[in-house]
Amino acid sequence: MDLPLFSAAFAALAITLYVMLDGFDLGVGALLLREPDENLRDQIIDSIMPMWDGNETWLVMTGVALLAAFPVAYGILMPAFYLPIIVMVLSLGLRGVSFDFRFQAVGQWRRFWDIAFSLGSIAAASMQGLILGGLLQGVTITAHEFSGSIFDIFHPFPILTALAVLAGYVVLGSGWLHLKGTAAVRALAERSLRHVTPIFVGLAIATCIAAALVQPGIKAAWAAHPAPLIMIALLFFAASGVLMTAIAGKSDILPFLLGVLQFALGIAGTVLVIFPGIVPFRLTLWDASSSALSQIFLLTGAIVVTPVILAYSAFAYRVFRGKTPEKGWE
Amino acid sequence: MRLDPEVLARVQFAFTVTFHIIFPTMSIGLAAFLVVIEGLWLKTKEPVYLEIYRFWMGIFAMGFGVGVVTGIVLSFEFGLGFAKFAQIAGPAIGPMIGLEVLTAFFLEAGFLGIMLFGLKRVGPKLHFFATCMVALGTQISASWILSANSWMQTPDGVTIENGRVVVTNWLRVIHNPSWLVRLPHMLMAAFITGSFFVAGVGAWYLLCGKHENFGRRTVSLGLGFATVAVACQLFVGDILYGTMLHYQPSKMQAAEGFWEENSASPAPYNWIIVPDQANQRNRFTLATPVLGSIWLTHSLRGQVAGLKNTPRDRQPMMGMVFYGFHTMYTMAILMFFIVAVSLWLRVQKRLFSTRWFLRALVIMTPAGFIATIAGWYTAETGRQPWVIWGILRTADAVSPVPGGALLSTLIAFVVIYALFITAFLIYTLRMIRRGPEDAPDQAEASGSLMNALRTQVMDHAATAHPGEGG
Repeated sequence: MDLPLFSAAFAALAITLYVMLDGFDLGVGALLLREPDENLRDQIIDSIMPMWDGNETWLVMTGVALLAAFPVAYGILMPAFYLPIIVMVLSLGLRGVSFDFRFQAVGQWRRFWDIAFSLGSIAAASMQGLILGGLLQGVTITAHEFSGSIFDIFHPFPILTALAVLAGYVVLGSGWLHLKGTAAVRALAERSLRHVTPIFVGLAIATCIAAALVQPGIKAAWAAHPAPLIMIALLFFAASGVLMTAIAGKSDILPFLLGVLQFALGIAGTVLVIFPGIVPFRLTLWDASSSALSQIFLLTGAIVVTPVILAYSAFAYRVFRGKTPEKGWE
Repeated sequence: MRLDPEVLARVQFAFTVTFHIIFPTMSIGLAAFLVVIEGLWLKTKEPVYLEIYRFWMGIFAMGFGVGVVTGIVLSFEFGLGFAKFAQIAGPAIGPMIGLEVLTAFFLEAGFLGIMLFGLKRVGPKLHFFATCMVALGTQISASWILSANSWMQTPDGVTIENGRVVVTNWLRVIHNPSWLVRLPHMLMAAFITGSFFVAGVGAWYLLCGKHENFGRRTVSLGLGFATVAVACQLFVGDILYGTMLHYQPSKMQAAEGFWEENSASPAPYNWIIVPDQANQRNRFTLATPVLGSIWLTHSLRGQVAGLKNTPRDRQPMMGMVFYGFHTMYTMAILMFFIVAVSLWLRVQKRLFSTRWFLRALVIMTPAGFIATIAGWYTAETGRQPWVIWGILRTADAVSPVPGGALLSTLIAFVVIYALFITAFLIYTLRMIRRGPEDAPDQAEASGSLMNALRTQVMDHAATAHPGEGG
């Protein structure tokens, strides 16, 4: 049995769930920056309050799955993306504590934590985009060690992907508020979807083109599987078009689901391009994997426990389903 | 100035992990306390228990939040500062932490939302279930992380192939020689920490003469738990001392502050030392004669082994281990004294009116935190120069990241974490000053686990609050 392949599939599942789930709550955080009305900010934050912790756990799962199953890759990628990862974890920290602290603070300090929350969300989202760009651009390695500069990531291409991911998260976040918000929050979501969706699509196209220019491996992937990649791109455009028409429509949830679909397609495309690289275009899954017993242990746990996690996470979402109460959860 | 990446990576890890451990320790202790309180509320329906629950849940929620976000940092830091450790030991450490995430983090996160915001939506029974799951999550998490850390202290069940760890027997990796001693030691530490925190706040209310019912219950419960946990810790701590003496003699040699292979007979007990590692001697020693023999060897003339038994290139820094251990030990003695006196006062029925004792409880509020951190310093600095005992030296585990970058990010961590702890302390103290009665009333919802899982209960809840939808 091809254990590294299964472990990679599990890591891919974890990061997909992470991007979709924390994507929307980071996007909601980014949207908060421009909202002057404190009551609306309360409502917006209430809509993600019971979920954010579970969403973020998928990030930890991704990192730890990499450590367990592909320790060589983990040991290369962490130093390679040293600065964006540190900025990301500090930003996630800042926004995470703001959830609790803002409720204790009054007046100016509540505004302070809201700004910290929003800037933390924006910075975390951008750093994730920067890391994606760094992965696609390729990292410098010698044998099994990172040998480039930690500043290699600050190039135009990763900065472009950072903007694309940030815009995408804002689309997801707006879709979430379209689903959960009433009255003014819902109107804010509609406005934001109208403005940001085209920006996201534009940045996504630019990223695809630039990726093929900066990384020969990506050009080669387009040549190797043109049909599925073109299909993914067409579906992405179709989803974006439907999203634009679904704004302010009868279905509360449709824009959110279409945003999720956009991300699913984006991830599918990325996987197709970098497979079987775990350090893309440098090391394959099989070069970087830990021994069989380590993979078996992780996979057994994952296979047994993941369905249970999905079940009670779904239950938690169900408990807080429907529109977020305007006066908070209690 | 040349920046040494090894030193900076170690300082950064030490700083972030020290900061982090405060919060899980509090979460483990307080979550267990909240389970007991909510259970008592469900059983007796006395409103004071709901008051206690709501008050401590507020502090728990803030602490849990800080614990989560500082924990995320650690899951990446294995690779950020110590990439070679990750590559070499990832096959053993990674799957254990992976299972921790799967079996504990998700459990906590999944039920935390319901615990904090869901009482009205799911009813008290399912809410109690959620509290239990969060508490269980904190303990499962402790279990895995202690297993992983104990494997680094007393590794077992692996071979080394091509410079990488290869697991040969998972049972022996998880159930390594020190795990089942260090795990109860940490859990008891967390229960003691939580108990002293709860009792200290209650004592402050009694001293101020406000929230007296709340104060009496929490002082009584807090000291009750502390008494049991301190009694257990005496035994667990003693067994652990023996375990570490067997597996890591150098750690215990450093912890007692002796250099010579055999101390004088009878041995003194060292209270304060100024070690001189370069010359393998103490510049200054403050000690009580004969006490060392009695405490450490349980005899009148026994000798204590010193650090010179360990070759110099395998010695830990004596000062760090000695003061970590002695800080923990001093705290332990003080806490033992407090619980012993509390038993006496309880029998005399003067527990809530003895003002000097209540003042002592307030002063001892952070005692558990100090002891826990000092204990971890003993464990971690005493393992040096190894990161994995006998397998990998810390110096060989460091990432290829320049010292300047490590220093800048260390400063960033210090600044941001200072903001976290300042805000946490300000808001916690403000909540304590405001007191429990300001907590909003909670209407008594009804419901059982089965009912809550059926949809009509929630639909009912939704119709009771128009505008929420369904």
